[in-house]
Amino acid sequence: MGLQHTSGDLVGNMEVDAFRRLFPLPFFERYLLESIRPDARPLSSARDTTVALGAVASADGSALAKIGYTTMLAAIKMEVMTPSLGSPDEGGIAVDFHMPPVCSPLIKPGWPAEAASVLSKQLTDVIISSGMVNLKELSLIPGKAAWMAYLDVYCLNADGAIFDAALLSAVSAFSHLHIPAVSVTEDGRVVAVSGELVEGNLVKETPIKSMRKLTLSCIPFSLTCLLHKKYILADPTAEEESIMETHVTVVLDLSGRLVSFYKPGGPVHAHTSALQDCVALTRQRVKELQKILNEAIADMDLD
Amino acid sequence: MAGKSSSIAPTTYSPSPTLKVKKKQQQQQQPIFKDVDWVRPDGRSFQHCRPAFLRTGAVNSASGSAYAEFGNTKVIVSVFGPRESKKAMMFSDIGRLNCNVSYTTFASSIRGQGSEHKEFSSMLHKALEGAVMLESFPKTTVDVFALVLESGGSDLPVVISCASLALADAGIMMFDLVTSVSVSCLGTNLVIDPITEEESYQDGSLMITSMPSRNEVTQLTLSGDWSTPKIHEAMQLCLDACLKLGEIMRSCLREATSAPHE
Repeated sequence: MGLQHTSGDLVGNMEVDAFRRLFPLPFFERYLLESIRPDARPLSSARDTTVALGAVASADGSALAKIGYTTMLAAIKMEVMTPSLGSPDEGGIAVDFHMPPVCSPLIKPGWPAEAASVLSKQLTDVIISSGMVNLKELSLIPGKAAWMAYLDVYCLNADGAIFDAALLSAVSAFSHLHIPAVSVTEDGRVVAVSGELVEGNLVKETPIKSMRKLTLSCIPFSLTCLLHKKYILADPTAEEESIMETHVTVVLDLSGRLVSFYKPGGPVHAHTSALQDCVALTRQRVKELQKILNEAIADMDLD
Repeated sequence: MAGKSSSIAPTTYSPSPTLKVKKKQQQQQQPIFKDVDWVRPDGRSFQHCRPAFLRTGAVNSASGSAYAEFGNTKVIVSVFGPRESKKAMMFSDIGRLNCNVSYTTFASSIRGQGSEHKEFSSMLHKALEGAVMLESFPKTTVDVFALVLESGGSDLPVVISCASLALADAGIMMFDLVTSVSVSCLGTNLVIDPITEEESYQDGSLMITSMPSRNEVTQLTLSGDWSTPKIHEAMQLCLDACLKLGEIMRSCLREATSAPHE
């Protein structure tokens, strides 16, 4: 409280930027009193979000997602593998999340960020457990060959709500994914066929699967909220995240079912009502995100 | 990382690229560029660079940043600092430049290939070192981090040009912008700004990194088969292209400052 007093005295003769840096918490609390945030957003609304599909030509499926300044690039590469003995008729998905040193001043090359491996795990859990992709669809020949989808998500600009942007880019990349056509050679190897090859000397092979898209069900979307005193701030920026440390990430799928709920400690002990509010905010956000993704897919189909 | 190790069978292989390469090699026994009326895969003439798209301010938390897209080659560069040097470093009167180039796992057609970035990091450092006024930030370090999002040929020249744009965006003092262009020698032809496919069957390559308005060269690499007149021709071609690229970069910087910020 002493801090608040000193800051109160100093306010009159201090520039706004200096005040923001020296007393970040009182600065934000003044905004919160008016139910507004420094970037002119109401507390419950998210930043502008865009999705662009097909950002990387060298991948089988890719997407660039932006939430405010936070930018994520996700790309999927398909490889043929031998399915595991336990599930011979299923393919696999391997998810990796990267925070290269370009994205934030806090990351040094050669030192993988701690946050990156945590997010990797979270993304894997959400994508696998949501059942968005039917792994049986990735099967080629039961017991012999199946697709392995390598999903790599790169954070290009870290400005808060990293998980939300990463998940959005990941599901967008899956909705853009085109599984290559494959055929089996005489010696039993599975090879991809591109259009030009069909006329070549490899015609003997029997094409077993043509180029296709995955059918996605129950696509998961997420919203991260900050809890501070009685306030709930949706979709925080990096600055807000650094000042107010309690955050809650809610993942819901399109039918409104809860896929994942994540509140990693923090100084604020959330009441059930606050958590319910977070879920309600996420429900609204899921509708927004679904619209944004559908528009991106429609744009892609037009081209 | 955790997800990766558990379920991957060791026998994974990537069918499409290998097959494509094989097919290409079959065709390449009689290389098409020996024909008189050979056209480049993307339909450019030999002396035409790919259209360049440049933009500054791609990363808001960096001191300066730039994004460059030359055809399929897509690069993002962030500059941080001047900031404190690493503790273990010796005292230095002049500033340090620290460069790092990395590739995304999906940058090239085969997943997870991009091991040459150590070499690229030092090439980038050498290319920029001569242009940056290191004495303007004594005792501190400027970090230049590049990430190749997609590799479509002529990666290093694009990284270098993009990095100098990012340095300019960060307000780091330089003698001039650094621009870089490469030329591939294919049979008797010189093709400027080659794509991956052309690079894969080139006889020789030449890359020039220059400061166009001072008409100075900071780096020149030459590899493969060259004759002296060809080298002269290629150098002139590169320097002309560097001059033009410099103008494009300058206009990009001007646009960024004249546009209302945020």
